[in-house]
Amino acid sequence: MSAQSYAELFCFSNFTFLTGASHPHELAEKAHELGYTALAITDACSVAGIPRAWAALANSPVKLITGSWFELSDTPTGASTPRFILLARTRKGYGQLCQLITTGRRRAEKGQYQLFYRDIETHSLDDCLCLWLPPAPTEADSDQALTCGEWLARLFDPRIWIAAARTLESGEEQHLARIHWLADQLRIPVAAVGEVHMHSRERQPLQDVLTALRNHTNLENAGHCLFQNGERYLRPLPVLKRLFPATWLAETLVIAGQCTFEPGSLRYEYPPDLVPEGETPAGYLKRLTREGERRRYPEGTPLQVQSLIRKELGLISEMKYEHYFLTIHDIVAFARSRGILCQGRGSAANSAVCYCLGITEVNPANVELLFERFISKDRNEPPDIDVDFEHERREEVIQYIYRRYTRERAALAATVIRYRPRSAIRDVGKALGFDPALVEQLLEGIDWRDKATNWRQQILDKKITRNPKVADQFFTLVNTLLGFPRHLSQHVGGFVISAGPLAELVPVENAAMADRTVIQWDKDDLESLGLMKVDVLALGMLSAIRKALELISEQKGKTFHIQDVPQEDPDTYAMLQKGDSIGVFQVESRAQINMLPRLKPATYYDLVIEVAIVRPGPIQGDMVHPYLRRKHGLEPVDYPNDAVRKVLERTLGVPIFQEQVIKLAMVAAGFSAGEADQLRRAMAAWKSHGDLTPFREKLVTGMLERGHDADFAERLYQQICGFGGYGFPESHAASFALLVYVSAWIKRHYPAAFYCALLNSQPMGFYSPSQLVQDARRHHVTVLPPDVNASQWDHTLEGKERHLRLGLRIIQGLSVNGAERIHQNRPAGGYRSASELRRLATLNQRDMELLAGANAMPAFTANRHQAYWQLLDHEQPTELFAEEVAVDYQPEYCQQLPEPSEGQNVLADYASQGLTLQRHPLALLREQGHLKFCLSAEQLKSTKAGIPVQVAGLVTGRQRPGSASGVTFVTLEDETGNVNVVVWLETARRQRKPLLTARLLHVKGVLERQGDIVHVMAGRLSDLSHLIQSLPVHSRNFH
Amino acid sequence: MLWLYLHFPHLVLDHIRRTRENQGALVIVEGSGQKVIQACPEAMSQGIRSGMRLKTAISLAPDLGIVRADETQEARILEDQARWLYRYAAHIVLVPPDGLLAEIGSLQKLYGGLPAVWQTVEQGLNERQLNAWIGIGYTPLAARLIARAGKGECTADKGHILRSLSQMPLLAAEFDEKACTRLQRLGLNTLGEVFDLPSGELARRLSPELLAYIQKIQGTRPDPRTPWQPPHSFRQQADFVQEIEHTQGLLFPLQRMLAELEEDLCWRQQDTDSLRLVLKHRHSEPTRLQIRTSGPEHRADNFLNLIRLRLEQHSLSSPVISMVLLVKRFLSREAPAGQDLLGETRDLNEAWHTLISRLQARLGDQALRQLSPQADHRPERAWSASEVLRKTGAPLIPAAELPRRPLWLLKGPQPLTEAPVTWFSGPERISGGWWDGQRVHRDYYIAQLNSGQLAWVFRDAREGWFVHGWFG
Repeated sequence: MSAQSYAELFCFSNFTFLTGASHPHELAEKAHELGYTALAITDACSVAGIPRAWAALANSPVKLITGSWFELSDTPTGASTPRFILLARTRKGYGQLCQLITTGRRRAEKGQYQLFYRDIETHSLDDCLCLWLPPAPTEADSDQALTCGEWLARLFDPRIWIAAARTLESGEEQHLARIHWLADQLRIPVAAVGEVHMHSRERQPLQDVLTALRNHTNLENAGHCLFQNGERYLRPLPVLKRLFPATWLAETLVIAGQCTFEPGSLRYEYPPDLVPEGETPAGYLKRLTREGERRRYPEGTPLQVQSLIRKELGLISEMKYEHYFLTIHDIVAFARSRGILCQGRGSAANSAVCYCLGITEVNPANVELLFERFISKDRNEPPDIDVDFEHERREEVIQYIYRRYTRERAALAATVIRYRPRSAIRDVGKALGFDPALVEQLLEGIDWRDKATNWRQQILDKKITRNPKVADQFFTLVNTLLGFPRHLSQHVGGFVISAGPLAELVPVENAAMADRTVIQWDKDDLESLGLMKVDVLALGMLSAIRKALELISEQKGKTFHIQDVPQEDPDTYAMLQKGDSIGVFQVESRAQINMLPRLKPATYYDLVIEVAIVRPGPIQGDMVHPYLRRKHGLEPVDYPNDAVRKVLERTLGVPIFQEQVIKLAMVAAGFSAGEADQLRRAMAAWKSHGDLTPFREKLVTGMLERGHDADFAERLYQQICGFGGYGFPESHAASFALLVYVSAWIKRHYPAAFYCALLNSQPMGFYSPSQLVQDARRHHVTVLPPDVNASQWDHTLEGKERHLRLGLRIIQGLSVNGAERIHQNRPAGGYRSASELRRLATLNQRDMELLAGANAMPAFTANRHQAYWQLLDHEQPTELFAEEVAVDYQPEYCQQLPEPSEGQNVLADYASQGLTLQRHPLALLREQGHLKFCLSAEQLKSTKAGIPVQVAGLVTGRQRPGSASGVTFVTLEDETGNVNVVVWLETARRQRKPLLTARLLHVKGVLERQGDIVHVMAGRLSDLSHLIQSLPVHSRNFH
Repeated sequence: MLWLYLHFPHLVLDHIRRTRENQGALVIVEGSGQKVIQACPEAMSQGIRSGMRLKTAISLAPDLGIVRADETQEARILEDQARWLYRYAAHIVLVPPDGLLAEIGSLQKLYGGLPAVWQTVEQGLNERQLNAWIGIGYTPLAARLIARAGKGECTADKGHILRSLSQMPLLAAEFDEKACTRLQRLGLNTLGEVFDLPSGELARRLSPELLAYIQKIQGTRPDPRTPWQPPHSFRQQADFVQEIEHTQGLLFPLQRMLAELEEDLCWRQQDTDSLRLVLKHRHSEPTRLQIRTSGPEHRADNFLNLIRLRLEQHSLSSPVISMVLLVKRFLSREAPAGQDLLGETRDLNEAWHTLISRLQARLGDQALRQLSPQADHRPERAWSASEVLRKTGAPLIPAAELPRRPLWLLKGPQPLTEAPVTWFSGPERISGGWWDGQRVHRDYYIAQLNSGQLAWVFRDAREGWFVHGWFG
């Protein structure tokens, strides 16, 4: 055994939150650079940093050892607090380690752990190695230390070592003397450790900052909480040799030699319970596909599809992915059996097999061209299927998964919440002792989209500190802290399901939500280890579509399925081409509404493009205009060569989708498959911590070499940057486009059902119930107010005319139970008085007052004021069988109460329901002459471009999209529709107050027009909010 | 009774602004720093309102001045105003946090009519550079509502006042939130409409408390207010028939004055820790002496001892014609702390107090310092000489956690001029303090020099060797 090298066995990464000051990959790279034999990542009761360190050491001779550091919450009798590191010797030991971590984590609140000495005695840990960290002489006396050592030695001998660190702090000599003494007493060998908190000494300031934050103090007051020096780093070998006896160093290599577990050996073992006995997974999948084929193609499967299915099944078999498809099929089948609408998306989802299995509704016969990228054989990349479920019923699916596989075998993937600029600035500011109010001021002043963020200057400008040195430190610390993990949260719906106990594959801990558990790895970790997850996501539009289909079925008198929606309906496309898309899935945003008349979608595939084009990727890559020009024949469609043609033909030679960009990097810039895969990962990670610049050089030179022009190359690179974090692949767009079409078709042909379903699925989508109701009325749907004698909880369609009756749920704060009782206990002739209503529906005062405020008792109250007056009389005890006397129905009337004015009613409606069915407040103000020179949204449509105009409306949206530099979009609503206002940065800066605070905004500006799209370029803004307040008072003058 | 109400819309702001040169936008934020609670007119004109989130306020006015709220400060400033108003009116009521009531019915005659009273108050406010809204009413609540609504007029006309009240919007009438919502839901907009409702119904359908509140505004129900008492300060003056030329001569009259002080303090059940002695001279400016005790005190003997020590140091510049003893600072009397059965700690504490007081009186406050350890790894910052603690308490840092340090730490490191004979321990590496510009990065050793002395030496990043202390 040579003392030439060394294995570091005690190393915190930044996954020991607010303690470790280096990323796992930094530690791994440093260990490699220093020539260590092995590196153990030993975070506190966690293995969350392991996959990243492992990925970083993929091509390195440095061995990664999986371990974890523990501090127990109690002590064996007479012993000091046990602190030790457990290292996984084999796969079995790894499982034991994960199990122990799970026990400790599941017992405590989110982010904490709690382990007792009994746990160590009762858990099986015979395949783990133990490094004991004896207490310092200042902490415990020799007796306690010895007792603790004896206890551990009893459990772990001969797999135990005493870990000795050299921190060069005061009292070290005594500590080392104690270690010698303990080793002698216990006959346990000593191994050197670095007690590493950072990969390099330069991180000491950050480590100090983290320590101060952990102790809820600042550096000034942190005092002895801080380490005395910065010695807890990965030391060069010569330094180690100087500090430690050779035997202690040699011992580290003995330990490392015993640890043979490698994270890469973790293999996903699929739950076997999905395959019926006597069948092979492949045979069963084939059988299910065959059954699906018969359902999907009752007249016989088209030849094309048949061969596609054959090809796909072959590939699935080859990659051994049958279980994955069977798992998803099982979940989807459950949803189907409960009538829960769902739709799969992702590269593998839009396959012929998935269509037959019912995972997607995208028919490969219609869009066969699309899905060449099914599963990549070249890269060992697991198939990717996300399944969206109705948002109100996804919980049922999740509960099913827990039932089917038990909590021992199913858990959610984690999402690592990382430091973002705001949180990093806040925390570093706190540690440096800056005034929190000033830090807030600084944060407010920073323009986050300003690429060249000159924080340093801004910090100096804000006088947070006059010392440029401190500003430099601040700047460096914030930049280093960015991307550091802060805590683990739950992934939106990525489940990991295992064959054996999940806790032997990866530790499981508690999430913030009750009854939710998450594993310690996130989706990138799972991917780098080749483990699979199933994404169970929630989508509001699916709830709305299911509800709309039910209403249509009710109207038709027979069940109407999503498959019954006729394809490629010209009326539907005509509607979308006008930009009439409020409420339609994905294309209802303002940007989409503007794009629709320009792109003029006329086929399903146009919708696929529509969904993907209004995204940062194509916008930053400046691909939108070229595509539109080519689509409308204003520019020739050409391809530099056939390889490029193959990639871009569907999109007229302009890259729109993420897949195309990556393929283009291969065919046009000569990236290898591996490099392209790196690019894809870097794109996914770019937003948080990735770096794309290394690819730029390669992309541009590669493309220039192959004869593409520099401008195109640069734009492609910009597009790649734009995709970062928001990657929108074609495979997802294809599934979404289907829902776009279905929801648009329902809106076009069954508007009442459409709005009713949308309103019943709130909250979802872009628009408030008020905006939806206004849009409904513009589409000639009659909307009726909530009424205790007509409404249910949900909104309903009444009678043959299909009038939309608002449900009692529109009344804010009303209890569901109360509303249900109003509906269920309603007498045949309806309620006749407030007291009858109160009695029969057993309503409490609060619900009664809310009903009065909503004016929902028109049958027996003169107006909401009088209704309210009646209710304020306190409940009389009602005798059970009291005769109903006529007095009961004689409403009390109070002379002194004023009649509500129209304005008052409008405001009261807004207060109670967030919307009004009476005249729009803007109509009232206009009538009163407050908006003399203002044009309405309707009038703007027929106004010429370039003309100075004035408009006014309720502010329903303020938006500063990332893709439009410095522009604020404001949406104003008046009685005729919406007005789009564009405010340039300079205008916004000068008129912050009205822009930020007005509820009713008046704008003087210039009309701009692009086809049917009308904008007002804002000049002068004024706040008219006071007019809303004064509505009732002024309107009274007119009565 | 006629009441005048002063509403200070941004008292603390005014108070701060009067001493500020820069008159930019200024706001007071609540303790946690999230919300604006007061905004000055300049800030208001930029759209900032109280209740607004600080974030929004800052985005409206990026250069906003921000002051954190401090209740005690606000209370003190209000009390200052009360003291001022007390010059004019005897019956004053504090309405914290931002209002004062004064009964002015009796003043009208004194000043010759209401306009004169109004003008006096306004002028005083101007001189004091304070914004206040004035309201006049026949009940405290009426005056308050009118003032806070900014509808104050210089009139005592009952009908006129009633009309202003009636026209007052509900929101300005300071109903509790629930009552206000209910009244609004009944369609009522003004206080007058509420007055019109039948009172029986009002009590039954809304609440008896609401009716009571309305009646208090109208004056049909009594609304007694406790008058404010000005804080009592102790003042005793002695005038001398014969001028006194030596400090010794002051002691005799002082005995009497201090005895009265002790009596006064006993009556108040309070202590003091600071006395002021003003010695008036015939031709020159008076001599002012401040005498501090080391802790709360009330015994005349102890005061006298301190003053005697102080006077011994002081030679009179000119003869004294009168002497004033002033006490403005009163401390509530605490139960003697840490008293054990035998009363020994008490004695120790007392002895400590007495010693400190005497030393301070003799040498001056500044001359006396107390050493204490500081939690800092850097040796030069690991101790401090601070003001003497009034109480002996547990040390801030447990001794066991303190590192091994020499008893004698040099004022600054001295270059090491000789090679040590023996090395005892080290290196102990100290690296830190990067955040305050006092960064150290040193390796410390204990070494014996030729002379036999045990030195604490270090080597720094520039490889220089220094002695930093001596071990005993």
